[in-house]
Amino acid sequence: MAILEIEGLSAGYGPVRVLHDLSLTIEPGERLGLVGLNGHGKTTFLSAIVGLTGWQDGSVLFRGEQIGGRRTHGMGRKTPQIVRRGIALAPQGDAIFPGLSVRENLDSGAYTGATWRSRRKRRERILEVFPPLAPLLGQTAGTLSGGERRMVSVGRALMSDASLYLVDEPSLGLAPKISLNLVAALLEIDLGDGAMIIAEQNLPLIEGRVDRVLGMHAGDLKLDVGEALGDVPPAAGVHL
Amino acid sequence: MIEVVISALVLASMYGLIAIGISLTWASIGMLNLAQGFIFTAGGYTAWLYAQYAEGWGLEGVGLSAGVLIFGMLGSALAGLFVGAIAFLPLQDRDNFRTRSLIATLAISLIGTQIWLILFGPQNKPLPPVFGEGRIEIGPAGMSYQQLGTIIVASVMLALVILWMRSSRRGLQMRAMMMDPLGAAVVGVSVRSTGMRVLAISGALTGLSSVLLAQVFFVSPTSGVQPLTTGLIISLAGGLGSIPGTVAAAGLIGLAEALTARYLQQSLVPFVLFAIVVLILIFRPRGLGGLLEDVRE
Amino acid sequence: MSETPRLVGRRAWRPHWPVNSTRVFKRRRWPGTKRSMLKLSGRYNPKTLRREMVLTDKKPLFWSVGLLALLLLPLGIASERFFTMFGIICIYAAINVMWTLIIGTAGLQSFATLATVGVGAYGAGYLSVTYAIPWPLMLLVGAVLGGLMGWIISLPARRLDGLYYALLTLGLSEFMRNFVTQSDELGGKFNGALFGVGRIIPSDLLTTRLGQSLLYLTAFIALLIALAVYRWVNGGRTGILLRAAATSKEDEAFASALGIDFNKERTRVFIIASAMLGFLGAFYATYIGGTSLQLFSLELLLLLLAMIVIGGLGRAEGAVVGTVIVVGITQWFTDWGPWRIVLVGVLALASVLFTRNGLFGLKAQIEEIRDRRKALYRAGITSRYAEFLPQQAPEIHDKSAIVGRVFERSLRDRLRSWISPELIAEHEAKPLGQHSDRLERMLNYFRKAPIPDKYVVYCEVPFESYRVVALSGLPGVPPRIVDDKKYASLDEAYHAVFLRRVNDLRAH
Repeated sequence: MAILEIEGLSAGYGPVRVLHDLSLTIEPGERLGLVGLNGHGKTTFLSAIVGLTGWQDGSVLFRGEQIGGRRTHGMGRKTPQIVRRGIALAPQGDAIFPGLSVRENLDSGAYTGATWRSRRKRRERILEVFPPLAPLLGQTAGTLSGGERRMVSVGRALMSDASLYLVDEPSLGLAPKISLNLVAALLEIDLGDGAMIIAEQNLPLIEGRVDRVLGMHAGDLKLDVGEALGDVPPAAGVHL
Repeated sequence: MIEVVISALVLASMYGLIAIGISLTWASIGMLNLAQGFIFTAGGYTAWLYAQYAEGWGLEGVGLSAGVLIFGMLGSALAGLFVGAIAFLPLQDRDNFRTRSLIATLAISLIGTQIWLILFGPQNKPLPPVFGEGRIEIGPAGMSYQQLGTIIVASVMLALVILWMRSSRRGLQMRAMMMDPLGAAVVGVSVRSTGMRVLAISGALTGLSSVLLAQVFFVSPTSGVQPLTTGLIISLAGGLGSIPGTVAAAGLIGLAEALTARYLQQSLVPFVLFAIVVLILIFRPRGLGGLLEDVRE
Repeated sequence: MSETPRLVGRRAWRPHWPVNSTRVFKRRRWPGTKRSMLKLSGRYNPKTLRREMVLTDKKPLFWSVGLLALLLLPLGIASERFFTMFGIICIYAAINVMWTLIIGTAGLQSFATLATVGVGAYGAGYLSVTYAIPWPLMLLVGAVLGGLMGWIISLPARRLDGLYYALLTLGLSEFMRNFVTQSDELGGKFNGALFGVGRIIPSDLLTTRLGQSLLYLTAFIALLIALAVYRWVNGGRTGILLRAAATSKEDEAFASALGIDFNKERTRVFIIASAMLGFLGAFYATYIGGTSLQLFSLELLLLLLAMIVIGGLGRAEGAVVGTVIVVGITQWFTDWGPWRIVLVGVLALASVLFTRNGLFGLKAQIEEIRDRRKALYRAGITSRYAEFLPQQAPEIHDKSAIVGRVFERSLRDRLRSWISPELIAEHEAKPLGQHSDRLERMLNYFRKAPIPDKYVVYCEVPFESYRVVALSGLPGVPPRIVDDKKYASLDEAYHAVFLRRVNDLRAH
């Protein structure tokens, strides 16, 4: 059974419609790269999967269970239930809890009873993936640098027992070397029969290292990645 | 002098519990619960009802005392959930939530007072002494069982809540939600159910303080107004949302009240309290909590 | 097909009356200001073609009718119960209007309303009892005390967050109550009540019907004064600016950048409103002939809040109508006991839960619900034609182009469904007509196709050899030949072009 089957997904905020009738199927073990310029709906697409958009319509089947459907209000109201089925989202930007320590931030990713009990083991696994976080465990997350925050945010997503990881713009605003390491770490994670979607502006960072790359242009999925990046050389696209 | 400290501690424990309830609710769901006075009386009346029946069953001693405490907390927790069902759940993701929920809780407290009046009449209802009657002498100072019990029960309860907030999964979720509700939704925290949980907990704290306060005063339909005002003053002075700040403010206000009552006049207490809060707010517009955060850095 | 046409919208009724078109109309203004009394405009009646005057803003009409009713109803009935009830309505409405000025215009969430009223009442009442000052002086003293109080409590407003300020001022009533109870001079002896305050109407007259009417008249005048102050402040330059700034913090920052000192203006409005509240307090003391601690009770404050919440926060008409409703309930159904307060609380709760802004926000809310229904209906159309709608394509400036595309799409869909072997056979038999209705419509659609890539017949040798070519659409660029087929007759070539176009339509 496919991990994720999206059929006719439209979503937006208020009067603005961002996604237009998207359809997508993701098989177990697949790593999908989602490429597109700013403002073309990558973040909205990932948010729509977990119900974090203003409104949405269309079927989203996660392991055969409906998590989408028509919704006109109540942004984020169903998100906790959806996330608990096994979807982990690492949102764009500094989406960490600034007043909590790094350890608490990571622990907050272990939100089910079973993962909470094994949180120490899981935390150690995260620290193997992101060694720079080890000395910072007791520090307040608000005092970290941008790269460290991103590691915490991604690490928090990895703490859960998810079978679908959604990673939004792991490289945004980071120095090239740091983002390279971060993405490398993401690609090394053993997915098992799970899957991962990485939304990214910087095509060379993921090209050839994920199983499939789709372009996102004006709220539509495109097989042609060039169009999604507006025919600008992809590397330049990041610095526009 | 020691008597003053003891009486300050007693006052601080009783009002601090309410203030922490207000503060927690505000910080986690952004709702200023002015129906706290209604919740307060709800706990008092539940405990009183229980005491009536318990005396009928011939219950005495520890069973009666524990029952009064537990039923007071239970009644207030239920009242907290009731307030949440009316003022929090329907309004939660609508615009202007803060103002509207504030008005809704005010309306609830308006209705609540009248409902108590209809149900129980305007007479004062006394609660049985929970901690027994008597005094204990330690060296030069002495305190009544009631004072000692109040301090112990309130501190234990407070410690439990803080411990639970710091170390359990639910507590972590609650603190995460205080910082970023949508971010918390991403890590599986439901704002609605966690919010109701917070309301129940702060209700229970208020209920406890209601039972403790009823040892000195009585339960009556309007008996919630004065604790609500003092609780508000403390949570303001402590900085809404900061538990350490609120505890510090409760101590300060309790001390001020005890000192004023001892050396000046009981009638001057409100003025002193008000002056302290205004002074604190003028120098620290976000209350003592902000001050503590500065010190920590 | 006889379908009743759908109503698109309704034109609002506006009062209008014929005028003498030869006379020049002179606009009346409020004395001393440039504000016109009524918003009038002239027009020609589209039906009678007579010159007429239209009242574009109907609010003054409603206000005068409502206030007239408020004035005449108790005077006409002249029972004591009505005088009491409407007197309270007038005074509370005046207080609420001033509170609206503070919350709505100044944007300060202050609960110190009744505390200020109480300061005016007790201050003026005390002077009247001890020094027997005449009532005009009492009103003056009340206004001064209220303004002073307003100035003092506006001081922390600059530093405090809105909510902290609200809580602080909420505590002020309790503080004032304690103050009065503690002080012996202010009636601490009589449980906070002050008796024997001087009256405006001589007390020997008060037992008569004339005296009662005059007393009620004074309350009504107090309301009128409050409304005038509201209009003066709220409708003035600072009022308009403040209300614009109240919508968001960014607007406030922007306006501050333009050199408007908001805090100063806010404080000014607050002090004016507080002075007025003090005045009303003093008036209340002379009206009742005393004061009571009830002024500082939380319950009365909550009742006042319920009034403005039910009517609609931030609007003078809401404050007045809410007062009429709530005071009506509490004064009329006195035998209900506590239940009437419960009813008021439930009403307030309902207006918070179900309406956006009380009674007077209902209209906008209903309109919005209707708009949402319309949007859903339109969304249904979109999914039917799978084309976007104007509101969904903000980047396309020419909205008629979008409508055109939606139409084209639906037209293509319909024409496509008509393609059938019979239709093609009909065209083959008679390429030049007479055509059936469907074929004619289809050909019309083909004819208006854009020039680039349009199929046309190319004549190689007249009456012998014809080909199908496609136009380039560019001047100087020759058409391209689409295939190597040659047709012997013009009719055959016509039909070949037709088949190509049908094929394209099918694939489109």
